[in-house]
Amino acid sequence: MPVNYITDEVKALIGARSGKVLAYHPVEASEVRRFFQAIMDPAPRYWDEAWAKSSRYGGLVAPPAFPPFAFRRAPTEPDPLDRMHTDPEFDGLPRGDRGLPPIPVPLPRLLNGGYEYEFYRYAMVGERIYRSSAYLDIYQRDGRSGPMVLIITEQKFTTDNDVPLITATTTTILR
Amino acid sequence: MSDLCFEDVTIGQDIPNVVKGPMSTAHIMRWSSAMENWHRIHYDWKFATGHDKLPDVMVNGSWKQHVLIQLLTDWAGERGWLLKIGFQFRGMNVPGDLLTAWGRVTAAEPRGAYGVVTLDIGLRNDKGVEGTPGTATVVLPRRGGPAVPYPFDPACLGPAA
Repeated sequence: MPVNYITDEVKALIGARSGKVLAYHPVEASEVRRFFQAIMDPAPRYWDEAWAKSSRYGGLVAPPAFPPFAFRRAPTEPDPLDRMHTDPEFDGLPRGDRGLPPIPVPLPRLLNGGYEYEFYRYAMVGERIYRSSAYLDIYQRDGRSGPMVLIITEQKFTTDNDVPLITATTTTILR
Repeated sequence: MSDLCFEDVTIGQDIPNVVKGPMSTAHIMRWSSAMENWHRIHYDWKFATGHDKLPDVMVNGSWKQHVLIQLLTDWAGERGWLLKIGFQFRGMNVPGDLLTAWGRVTAAEPRGAYGVVTLDIGLRNDKGVEGTPGTATVVLPRRGGPAVPYPFDPACLGPAA
């Protein structure tokens, strides 16, 4: 009989919502450059200021799915890598970093299961990005390789005045 | 840059591929660094293969998604709009993989003043193994019709048929 990881404590987290979290700094041209160079998409909307100004965007923008990656660690937040010294099992990825409570499931491995995005507008260089998150579902599947817990998280990204940028639904797999 | 209109699209049509790679540990490190992701399965071979029992360090799923997005934004051009995309990471990709993003039109319908196109999409490695199957919805202008609005409000499409 496989272990049931969906305890009452875990079930109680389904529907949990974060407050609205502001990214530590506004979208920077340099982080956009590193981002589009890393994804190897040289579209002029990310770097050609003259082109971007005369386009429908009105200025330089970040790649469509940039907002989920805009939430950098503030200088006042603890360094997650400190745990590397004390916990050889630590995989380098803090859990529950979306402003939501961590999910008490003692499975050691985390995989990215997939995404769904709906796009409304691209974040512009200089704009602030906000994120509101919710656990839509948490459930278990028992496969040949053992139990897996799937966490479905919805994140709504906006800029100032609640202007919508993206809605993202992500599947995180613990196994 | 694409000047694609809804009238140019046919069901069953393959859209132009986007090819990346072969991927290397340096590509993986560059992405992990750009997004400040310190998950060890992407750069710590001993941890990836020992602790997580993976075959090698992994090409980030968070990176692969942008290749699929580029496939569609390149095709839709600056007059169209990638409205929705969804995909699952079913297969792992490792250093050495040459990745081809592909898309095929599965439906096309006029909605409001615009055209809405649905596609199957995916990301195959050089052995032909599909690892990231998904679907996408792209809004295109109709020939002679109004520009697709930006920012995009899905309400402009009106009700589905």
